[in-house]
Amino acid sequence: MNFGLPSAETLRQYRIWDSYFTPSFSHPGADGSRELIDDIERSMPAIQLGHFEKLCYFAHVGIGTTTDSALENLLQNQPELVLKPLERWPDKLLGMIQLNLHNTAGSMKALDRWLKDGPMLGVYLPGSGPGAANCLAPNVNKLVERVSELGGVIMQHTWLKTSGKRSPHETTPTELATLASRHPQQRFICAHAGGEWEQGIRAIRNTPNVLIETSGFDATAGFIEMATREIGSKRIIFGSHLPSRSLGTEISKVTAAKIGEEEKKDIFGRNYRKLLSTIQSRN
Amino acid sequence: MAFHRRDLIHGAITAGAASVVAASPEENTGTISMPNKVVDTNVSLFQWPFRRLPLDEVDELCLKLGQLGITEAWASSFEGLLHRDIRSANERLLNTCQTRAELVPVGAINPTLPDWKHDLHLCLGRSAMPGIRLFPGYHGYDLRDEVFGELLATATKLRGFVQIAFAMEDTRTQSHHMVAANVDPRPLEHWMQKFPEARVQILNCRPSTSDKQIFSSIPRVVVDSSRVDGTDGVTTLASAIGIDRVLFGSHAPFLIPEAACIRMLESGVSAADIKEMMSTNADNFRKATTTTTTNHRR
Repeated sequence: MNFGLPSAETLRQYRIWDSYFTPSFSHPGADGSRELIDDIERSMPAIQLGHFEKLCYFAHVGIGTTTDSALENLLQNQPELVLKPLERWPDKLLGMIQLNLHNTAGSMKALDRWLKDGPMLGVYLPGSGPGAANCLAPNVNKLVERVSELGGVIMQHTWLKTSGKRSPHETTPTELATLASRHPQQRFICAHAGGEWEQGIRAIRNTPNVLIETSGFDATAGFIEMATREIGSKRIIFGSHLPSRSLGTEISKVTAAKIGEEEKKDIFGRNYRKLLSTIQSRN
Repeated sequence: MAFHRRDLIHGAITAGAASVVAASPEENTGTISMPNKVVDTNVSLFQWPFRRLPLDEVDELCLKLGQLGITEAWASSFEGLLHRDIRSANERLLNTCQTRAELVPVGAINPTLPDWKHDLHLCLGRSAMPGIRLFPGYHGYDLRDEVFGELLATATKLRGFVQIAFAMEDTRTQSHHMVAANVDPRPLEHWMQKFPEARVQILNCRPSTSDKQIFSSIPRVVVDSSRVDGTDGVTTLASAIGIDRVLFGSHAPFLIPEAACIRMLESGVSAADIKEMMSTNADNFRKATTTTTTNHRR
């Protein structure tokens, strides 16, 4: 161990697959990719230091998930731009698409274009921005059903804030649990474990088709220990939130936790690989 | 063209540079080890009021600090957040620190309590602590308040440094029944000009761009690294305010201490820069305040 980081050998043995990589998350750049690629490069030292095997990012695909109409038009007319990061790092990157919950028709079309035909593996339901809507909005059911048919993964942004929702479009872990109970055939990832994880974990505890993702809040001690105790290591998925969060913040939540090494392997990659296996086998 | 983060710190690149590629991890991990002496300027003892923490027993905390190579830790007390009998809280802190060579006691002061100056004199005088820690968000005052100026003046006269907890946790995750706002640091500019000998450290800030601008405009104020996030967060903070004003801090046991350690390595800076942030800067900050006091361990 050096600087609190496990040895390279140990990190390689964890086989880390990052489910929540957020380079240039809100906007990929005016040309459709430049800022995104710059941010991936910016993250590479941390990715290499952590010996990550794979990272999954969330692509904008021209269905109104940004406020930049010129970019949206560009991505609609030149969808090949969406693939640039995957072409640049084919062995490292995985992709999911950001859905616009206010544009059901466009989102349904995008599911066929990017999940059914590949190479994207699932969807991101945002908590802010023009594509965000509360996960209990009626049209979300249709989208969930289609993702489910395609075998895709659903990552839902969640935060449970002391001050309450900043926008009605935000989703809490409790609301995600409600949605998930309506779709027991589909597995959902509760991004950030709700941020305030003591309540977030409890909110999804009795909904077995909801897993929690670990990133997006400070390295608060005891999180992974409580999560493992309450829902088991099989329902926890590692995310890095790089580059806006750090390797130190996110990897230490798992490496420093007082849990077994096999449980760490579950969290760092085994669970996520299993989750992705359905759609990957179809593609 | 690839830039090293160390160049960012030393001014070769503007702070606004969008794309910065650090030294390769092999370059970092292959040659950089923890400095022989590491000062953690921000730990707390005893129990966090809202949940048990994995390292909230002093023995376990000290064992972990030792495993990480942290040789000195400036420790205050979680009891200082809510206890009104703050003298006894500080005495428990002092007694515990006297049994541990690596722990340096930093007493908590609440200037909204009657006769707070007595606590201050006990900490910096009789107990010979090198500094004190303040929790304005939990004690209900503002750095604009005259009482803060009076406290800073008195602490400075007693040659003590002052640590200000900008926050203790993300405001989004606080208990609904105990909401503590982040501290507004801007009034410090006035006080630091008024008291040119004053030494102040901000703790637990996850600095925004505007926070960094504010810190850079306040003379001499130093900042701990415990909540400085983003893969190049430490580097950009050092670039904004000067590397000599960044002091390593973990905010353990509330935060996982490995997080702050790894971020130092992740920052991509040189071994010399890491040593400065993890050791030298803390020594200089403390030395400036303790030239006339005796060692706290009696």
